[in-house]
This record gives sequence, structure tokens and C-alpha cells, in this order.
Amino acid sequence: MTAAAARRDRIKHAFLWPAFLLVLLISLFPLIYALTVSFQTMRIVPPTPPRFVGVQNYAEILQSARFWGSMWTTAVITVLSVILQYVLGFALALALHHNVPGSSLYRVTFLLPMFLAPVGVALIARMIFHPYLGPVNDLMRAIGVGNVPFLTEPNLAMAVLIIVEVWQWTPFVTLLMLAGLQSLPQEVFEAARVDNISAWRRFRDITFPMLLPISVAVVFIRLIEGFKVIDTVFVLTGGGPGISTETLTLFAYNEGFKKFNIGMTSALSFTFLVVVVVFGTIYLALAQRLTRRYA
Amino acid sequence: MAHVEMRQVTKSFGTATVIPPLDLDIAKGEFLVLVGPSGCGKTTTLRMLAGLEAVSSGRVSIDGRDVTHAAPGERDIAMVFQNYALYPHMSVRENISYAMRVHGTDKAVIAERVGEASRLLGLDPYLDRKPRNLSGGQRQRVAIGRALVRHPQVFLFDEPLSNLDAKLRVEMRTEIKLLQRRLGTTAVYVTHDQVEAMTMADRVVVMRAGVIEQAADPITLYERPANRFVANFIGSPAMNFLPARVEGGAVRVGGQVLPLPPEEATRLGPRGQVLFGIRPEHMRPSGHQASLTLEPQAIEPLGPHTLVLGHVGGERVTAQVDPRFPVRAGEPCVVPVDMTQAHFFDPVTEGRL
Repeated sequence: MTAAAARRDRIKHAFLWPAFLLVLLISLFPLIYALTVSFQTMRIVPPTPPRFVGVQNYAEILQSARFWGSMWTTAVITVLSVILQYVLGFALALALHHNVPGSSLYRVTFLLPMFLAPVGVALIARMIFHPYLGPVNDLMRAIGVGNVPFLTEPNLAMAVLIIVEVWQWTPFVTLLMLAGLQSLPQEVFEAARVDNISAWRRFRDITFPMLLPISVAVVFIRLIEGFKVIDTVFVLTGGGPGISTETLTLFAYNEGFKKFNIGMTSALSFTFLVVVVVFGTIYLALAQRLTRRYA
Repeated sequence: MAHVEMRQVTKSFGTATVIPPLDLDIAKGEFLVLVGPSGCGKTTTLRMLAGLEAVSSGRVSIDGRDVTHAAPGERDIAMVFQNYALYPHMSVRENISYAMRVHGTDKAVIAERVGEASRLLGLDPYLDRKPRNLSGGQRQRVAIGRALVRHPQVFLFDEPLSNLDAKLRVEMRTEIKLLQRRLGTTAVYVTHDQVEAMTMADRVVVMRAGVIEQAADPITLYERPANRFVANFIGSPAMNFLPARVEGGAVRVGGQVLPLPPEEATRLGPRGQVLFGIRPEHMRPSGHQASLTLEPQAIEPLGPHTLVLGHVGGERVTAQVDPRFPVRAGEPCVVPVDMTQAHFFDPVTEGRL
């Protein structure tokens, strides 16, 4: 290598290192720091000097009923709401794709919930489902059911959380499924019409299998996002009544910012990461088997 | 009665009329080709026959049954699309048998028909492959197989060969024609390729702007085109058109005089303004030969013959001559013209004289 070439080659460091250091600083460092903290006891209030305790935090988490409860809550909210989002979102996409009257209006309005901040949505939902002041309970009283404790009865509170999630995120599914529908080749459906295939069989045998890859992706995105739900729960129920609607993220938040138990929170966060990775892997493995049948 | 009838069929999109009233009769077992330039309404006509486009007015009947308002699936037709329109997630076998399976056809019958189609089309080695693992020609064979297992009243082909390369197109052309002969099923075939139209059709329908310009067998179309449009569209390279006068038993193009055969001269009589049409391949010696002087601009040797591209007066002229014909670009040359093959058109109506 000539001296000039070597000099030119050295320039690469000037381009590489700043970006690498930046990533290290804002992304990798906190991650590694949190990982080390998760093996220590560390409290901010009252200030306790950090002490290495090995996997004790993790052991405690796995033995805690509250962890398993929050895990169950998260799974129920996520799985049920994603199923509903997918079914409703796909149905809406089909309706919009086939140009039902007024579809251009719906196309815009159906997407609006997605653009709202989840905290705002939750605040509105809290008013709507308010036990005394909310319009839903006005309706319940009007039809003679009486006041329903939507946010203070565990099962109802879960249902409300699921409804809010579905309301806010169905448009996302609609958007992607509609894009998928519009990218399908038109002639294939014309061929099926010429072959006298009914609309239902066209959907079952052609549309659905052809959209399977995008469906898998959409559901995956929604599952991962759904697992991270915190703002809606925080505002609507605060994890209550008791801890009956506490999700994993909310549990970690409470440990960290109510009890200031930083070591435990870090351990929880990493456990959460493991849970998401495991769930994601299982889902993708199942989805792959499904798509392989068709692809 | 005709097997397929279109009576006063029209199609409008909004205020734009694509097909003015159109009448078309297709005989049972006939191979009919609709041909014309892009946007001439040939595909729209086919799609109206299939029921994929609703007719704006008029009546369509297939095998004596009025299907004007019937859904595509109720017309007992099968269609082959330009881009194959195969079900991408199904194997070749599943593609071919899908409609029969949905309609609950007996398993033995399905197996028999799939076997028959795959033998006929040479698809046996590919039955368990997915369409994406097939070549264009194989895919189109699958699409044809899917159409023929249904034993329909009518086959509809919408430019089925235009996505294939030239060599394959020639092969498939013959294959489709032979297949149709063997099955004896009425076929309507849309193409913009006049060679495809001429080689495959029992009868060619030349369309322009939604109007049928001429419907005839290929040879009539070539030898007696009904008007200038058809004369220009059929044949390659295209026919030459020269403004001329007919006087004293001869055609006068500018200062040049080309004597006509006596019977043709008698038939035409003296005429002030005509369009004299002569095909490049008819610029050859014959019993009634005339001479035309042209100014060659480019020489295109093709092997079996040579094309001379030049001018006569202000008009562009192409002549097809012998490879050894003495001609050089820029030097005026005299080519023979077979006057028995001359065509004459009215310069205003462009109809055949």
C-alpha cells in the first residue's frame, strides 16, 4: 500500500468512530449498564450502595406471583386485542377495497385513531367509561342496567383496556391489509370469477392465502407493540383494581419509579425482553409453518 | 344460428363511448381473432363477452342463451389472460383442478381431466410445481390447461402470447391453433399482432376505435382489404399508398405512368383522384408489369430479400426486392410493379374501389 493510499484508508476512522461512539453512548451503554445493575441491589430512595447479588433479582422475579400475574394480564390483553384488531382490520380493509359507498371518507376517518397519542385516547376512554359521568353508563342507566363499574371490576377493566387497544390500533391493520389487497393482481380474481368461484371461496382460497405473508408481519408488529402497552393501562386503571390489570411494563415502572428499586427494575426489564423474544420466536416459527403450506 | 352473438352491443365509460353499436356473429367451432391497434376496443369487446365488463346496451348470447346480464361464471366460458393469472400459491395440478374441486366434481373425473390436459400440453413433469418455478411458456400452458379442463362453450384468449419471447410465441401459436382444432371449441382470440391474427384465425376481425373495419378470412383480408386502414394494418412491411390519377388505362403517379391490366382499367374507368396501394412484396416482375422510379434512402438487406426505403414524389415507399437487385442509396432506381396486385382506395372515404 502506498503512503497516499494508507492516508486515504485512515480517513475511514474519522467517519466510523463518531457514529460508533454515539451509538455506544446512547444505546449500548444504557443497555449494558442496565444489565450490570440487574445483578445488583440498588436503591435510590433510601440511597443504598450497590451490592452484587448475582441472579437473586431474577430468582425473586420468577418466584413472585405479581410477575406471573402481570405476565398473564399482558398476554391476555395483547393476544385478545391483536386477534380482534386483525379480524376487524381485515374486514374493514376488504370493505374499503371493494369501494363500499363513501369509502373515500372512511379511508381517512378510520385512520385517525392511529394518529392520536395513546395517553390522550386513554384519557378520553376514562371519561367515556366513567362510573357516574360517562356516556356509556348514561346509556346503561337508560336501558335499565344501572351503573356498571367498568374500571373497578377486574374483568370489565380488562375488557375496557382491550376495547381501547382495538379501537386505537385496528386502523393500523386496516392500512397495511388494504395496501396488501391493492397490490394483489386483479386478473387472478377475474380468472376466478370466470371459473364461477363464489365470493367466499375467492376469499378463502385466494385472497387470504395470498395475503398470508403480510398478515404474519402485521400481527407480529402488533404483538410486539401490544406487549409493550403501558400508557393506556397507566391512565385508565393504573394497573388496578389492585394489581389485576397490571402489565409487565407497568410492573417494571412501579418497581422503578414508585419503589425506586433500580436493580429489580433492570432485572424485570431484561426478563421482559426475554419474554418478548421467546413469544416472538414461537410466533414466527408457527407462522412460518403456516405460510410454507401455501407459499 | 350463430354460436356466439353480439347484437348492437355498446360500451361507454362515463361520457366516453368506447364501443359504438357493434354486431358480431361467431359460428360454432370457429377460431375468431380480434385484431387492431392499442385502444381499438378489442379487449373491451372480449371482456364484455366474458362478462367482466357490463355492456352499456345491446345483447350478448352464447349457444342460444341470453347472457347479457349473466355473471362471468354463468356463461360457460373459459378465459386465458395475458399475464397468465395463475393462483400463485397453488401447484400446477391445483391450479388446473381448482374450479372443478370447488364445484364438487367427482375426484375420478378431476384426475382424468387433469391427466388429459397435462398430456395434451406437456405439463406432466411440472404438475407439482408452483407457478413461480415455471417459465413464461409453461405458465401460459397451465393457464390454457385450466381453461380447457372445464370443457367450456367458448375459449376466450386475451393476448395470451404477448408476454412470451418471439420464438416461443411462434411455437405456442401453432400449439393453440392445433389444440382448438382438435377440441372443436369456439375460440375468440384478441391480439395486436397481425401475424398472430393471420396465422391462427379462421376469420379475422379488424377493429379501429370500437368499429369493425372488416371481418374476413386471412387471405381475403390480405388480397381484398375493405379500406385503407385494413390494407395498412395487415401485411408487413405495410402497403405503400401513393396519390394518383387513373387515365387512359394507366395509373399516373406524379409524372410516372403505370399501365393497368385491361380488365382492371375497364372496371375502374377514368378517375381524378385515387389512392394507389401496392404492397412492398408486389414490387416484382409479372405478366402485367409496370416500372416505378424511386429515390432510395436506405437499403435493408434481410437475407431472402432486401427492403429499399425511399421516396416517390413526397410519399414514402418501401419496396421488397431481390437480394442481388442493383440499388444504391441516393441513386434513383427503377423497380418493377406487379399491376395485377394493385389496390385502389377512395381518397376521401378511404374505401376500396
